[in-house]
Amino acid sequence: MVTQAKNTDFKSFIASGQAWVWLNAGAVAISMIMVFGLLLLIAVRGLGHFWPQAVYDIEYDNGTAIVRIIGERVKTEKVPRLRIIESGINVRGDQDHVERSLIKVGNREILGADFMLTIAPNELSVKKPPDLLVLERTQWGNFYGYLRGVKERGELLGVAGLDLMAELESRLARVLHLRQRIEHIEKSEIGSINFGLEKLRLKKRGLELDGITEPAYYHDITARQNAHLAEYASLKEELDGLYRDLARDSIVLREMTGKEVEIKLSNIVKAYQPNAMSWAGKVIFYLQTFWGFIFDDPREANTEGGIFPAIFGTVVMVMLMSIMVTPFGVIAAIYLREYARQGFITRLVRISVNNLAGVPSIVYGVFGLGFFVYVVGGTIDELFYREALPAPTFGSGGILWASLTLALLTLPVVIVATEEGLSRIPRTVREGSLALGATKAETLWRTVLPMASPAMMTGLILAVARAAGEVAPLMLVGAVKLAPSLPVDLNAPFVHLERKFMHLGFHIYDVGFQSPNVEAARPLVYATALILVVVIVILNLSAIFIRNHLREKYRSLEQH
Amino acid sequence: MVYQDIGQHISHQFDEDLESLRSKVLNMGGMVEKQVDNALMALTRADGSLAEDVATSDYKINSMEVAIDEECTQIIARRQPAASDLRFVVTMLKTITDLERIGDEAEKIGRHAVRLASVERTPTYFSEIRHLGEQVRNMLHHSLDAFARMDADNALKIAHSDREINDEYDALTRQLITHMMEDPRAIRRSLRVMWCARSLERIGDHAKNICEYVIYTVAGKDIRHTSRKQVKSELIDSGNEQT
Amino acid sequence: MAAPQISQEVLHKETLNPENEQACYECRDFNLYYGSLQALKGINLTVPEKKVTAFIGPSGCGKSTLLRCMNRMNDLIDGVRIEGKMLLNGEDIYRKSVNVTEIRRKVGMVFQKPNPFPKTLYENVAYGLRLQGMRKKRVLDERVEWALQGAALWDEVKDRLQDNAMGLSGGQQQRLVIARAIAIQPQVILLDEPASALDPISTLKIEELIVELKKHYTVVIVTHNMQQAARVSDYTAFIYLGELIEFGATDRLFTNPVEKQTEDYITGRYG
Repeated sequence: MVTQAKNTDFKSFIASGQAWVWLNAGAVAISMIMVFGLLLLIAVRGLGHFWPQAVYDIEYDNGTAIVRIIGERVKTEKVPRLRIIESGINVRGDQDHVERSLIKVGNREILGADFMLTIAPNELSVKKPPDLLVLERTQWGNFYGYLRGVKERGELLGVAGLDLMAELESRLARVLHLRQRIEHIEKSEIGSINFGLEKLRLKKRGLELDGITEPAYYHDITARQNAHLAEYASLKEELDGLYRDLARDSIVLREMTGKEVEIKLSNIVKAYQPNAMSWAGKVIFYLQTFWGFIFDDPREANTEGGIFPAIFGTVVMVMLMSIMVTPFGVIAAIYLREYARQGFITRLVRISVNNLAGVPSIVYGVFGLGFFVYVVGGTIDELFYREALPAPTFGSGGILWASLTLALLTLPVVIVATEEGLSRIPRTVREGSLALGATKAETLWRTVLPMASPAMMTGLILAVARAAGEVAPLMLVGAVKLAPSLPVDLNAPFVHLERKFMHLGFHIYDVGFQSPNVEAARPLVYATALILVVVIVILNLSAIFIRNHLREKYRSLEQH
Repeated sequence: MVYQDIGQHISHQFDEDLESLRSKVLNMGGMVEKQVDNALMALTRADGSLAEDVATSDYKINSMEVAIDEECTQIIARRQPAASDLRFVVTMLKTITDLERIGDEAEKIGRHAVRLASVERTPTYFSEIRHLGEQVRNMLHHSLDAFARMDADNALKIAHSDREINDEYDALTRQLITHMMEDPRAIRRSLRVMWCARSLERIGDHAKNICEYVIYTVAGKDIRHTSRKQVKSELIDSGNEQT
Repeated sequence: MAAPQISQEVLHKETLNPENEQACYECRDFNLYYGSLQALKGINLTVPEKKVTAFIGPSGCGKSTLLRCMNRMNDLIDGVRIEGKMLLNGEDIYRKSVNVTEIRRKVGMVFQKPNPFPKTLYENVAYGLRLQGMRKKRVLDERVEWALQGAALWDEVKDRLQDNAMGLSGGQQQRLVIARAIAIQPQVILLDEPASALDPISTLKIEELIVELKKHYTVVIVTHNMQQAARVSDYTAFIYLGELIEFGATDRLFTNPVEKQTEDYITGRYG
């Protein structure tokens, strides 16, 4: 009786469709968990990197001697005692499993390695001395040690009663100021002089190529060149002075082996004592670091510093792509839907367009390289940039070709979405317009296109989502590990379509797999991935916002 | 419908409504005819109790009229009949009015017959009125017949026979006037007979109306107040068109 | 005989007769084919000027097709072929040299579903005017007000001309569409089941408006609702299976149609 009752219960449960509801809800739940899990993972791994970690001063028995280890504990795991003994290390105590830690010790130029392994039983004493100083440097990675003295022009300052840390901070501030000035001169002022000189050189070369020999032209160019050079000379002088100023101070530190090391302040980016920081101080430090990560240039083969050029390059590339793909796709869709005779050929075209969406993206990259870069770019160089040859201008990968390639890649999406939108405009609206004496073109322009604009935006959203995440084709047509200058700057004509650019996706690949110190750079991979996701989300959200605004404006579609 | 060889309505209920209306009107027609018959019989045979019967049963006809009236209103409100259906319903509406009037006239005759029967044992004066009554009865019978069959041709013929009744009535009037001049004591009775004759003449008029409605229903022509010749030509024309 | 003098008038009470009217449209042996299917068969019809003419008939009988031929809306459909003549003011609108947009400016059209553009009320009404190149704000303002008044909508919307037209009720939208049509001062207004998507009150308002419109325009209306045709039209054409079965004054057609097919249709015996 009971089983029978259960049976009917089960049957009615199936018949009621509840099972399907549960199945669907389960599928949705799993998708949600995966998406949020992914985001959470990269967020935790990536964002945690910027939190100031405690630095430990450990007395450690490494089996042969008792040494001192200073560093951050990066990772801790349990390992069977036997395995460690097998590797030739004498383990104190008698537990079966021991904790093994990966300690980031920095000081690469002295120790040769960034990391050391320790096992807990052999850590004789663990301290967190508040005066332990962490230095973030422009090269050789982090430095950990105790501050022992401050030097000015090689002279150690009087020790008595001097607050070394305060002294360091004030001098570091001066250095930062000088460095900003240097950066400004090098990047903007000398940059624009170089840009001008290059232009003049090309102009001269162009004149030579055109066979013009009249000295008057050359005279003018030479005069301007000289003016630039004079300007450069004065800047160079100022720069030399600044560099001398920069090199004035240095500090002396004692590192873990007890050696005293002198480090020039000019090499130091940041100096802090994490063990001494209060919680609020840590938050402020965190925000500063994160800010720097987003708005600074990369250092040390991308493993340090920020990712601003990559963010900028990604956004500019996606925008250029949108500017190119939207009109192109919309016009194609209008022709296909409104003007083309619906028949076999139109169907063929439509099928082809849809299939284009399925072509692997690297194939587009190859096409972009072979056609855009070599054929189109090469031709442009020959026609308009002859003077720069053999150095290519448009004839090598650049942001224009990259965005064109991606425009091609996302074209099907825009065409399909726009066609869909056009087909959803009720016939009565077109007829209403035509009945008022509008021509077909007037109807399209005044009524149909505005009403189809939300659909076009949908197409664009899908295109942006796809384009922003593509990496493979970009490697062939212009994304580089390190671009010397941004594709948009203050030198006329402001937008430099021929320039190579950095891209977040490519940056992730580069930092994650091509950097000299993969282990140290891994948190950056996560952080960069998170930023990439955020950038894509922001791009999409702004497009969605525009679309919703348009939808609200042309509400009629929902009514019909 | 019976009178036209056209299909059923898509709405079966509509057909049933119209059919029920028609049978009720025919029923009422039958009742009215019976009343007229009885009134005439009571008059000519000086049958006081029959006359009483006639005089008191008019209420049945009246209540039928009210019921049918209501039904017509319902059909118009609910079905919004058009063309032939509209003409049919309008005809029914008007027909019952005429039938009710005929019923009233029969009632009047009945009342006079009660009085006449009480004073006059031997009905010698009724030979003339019997003739008129016969004619009117025939006319009413035929017009109801034409109505039942929606026979426009016969209806037209019957409508024109109204003239004979009018002639007969005129003759009877003259005769009664003569009687009254000859014998002033008979004036009272003669006047009663006169009223009866008058009622009979009115019944003829109503029968004629019914015939005209039949023609309107079938042919869509309103022939009231129209010359015979024109009616003929119109009917034949439209008849030709219709086939 | 009683009153033979009146009889003349009574029997010939054809107050309306299409033959006596000034013709606006004339169809002469008009045929229309969708590919191999013949949708209109030899239509001969005269639509009188400044009167309301209704086309009735069952679905798919071709009445909408005929209406859409009157401003060449059927041009938009592939595979449509036309034979015979359709004269507007005596000129064939299917001549090769005819400018279609010119025709459509003369012949306004209102569709089954209200189809205002997703713009402001003002822009909706001004749409046709702007198409004609009218730019002056003052002139546009005047015409918009005039058209909205003509469509009996002005009082309801004069304070919210800059609102989106999609916010109006269905009946108001339909009147807006009518205002849009009359703003360009056409000669004819074609109405394709204008009230079929509306509630009874809105329907009555539209019908009231149609009666108003005929003072200035020739109105042709297609409707499924026979009562509506009976209420608003002066003339009615019954079309069945692509043929014009009967055309005549509405008064007569709805009480005493000549053709049996018409009778069957309007009494609900069609099937």
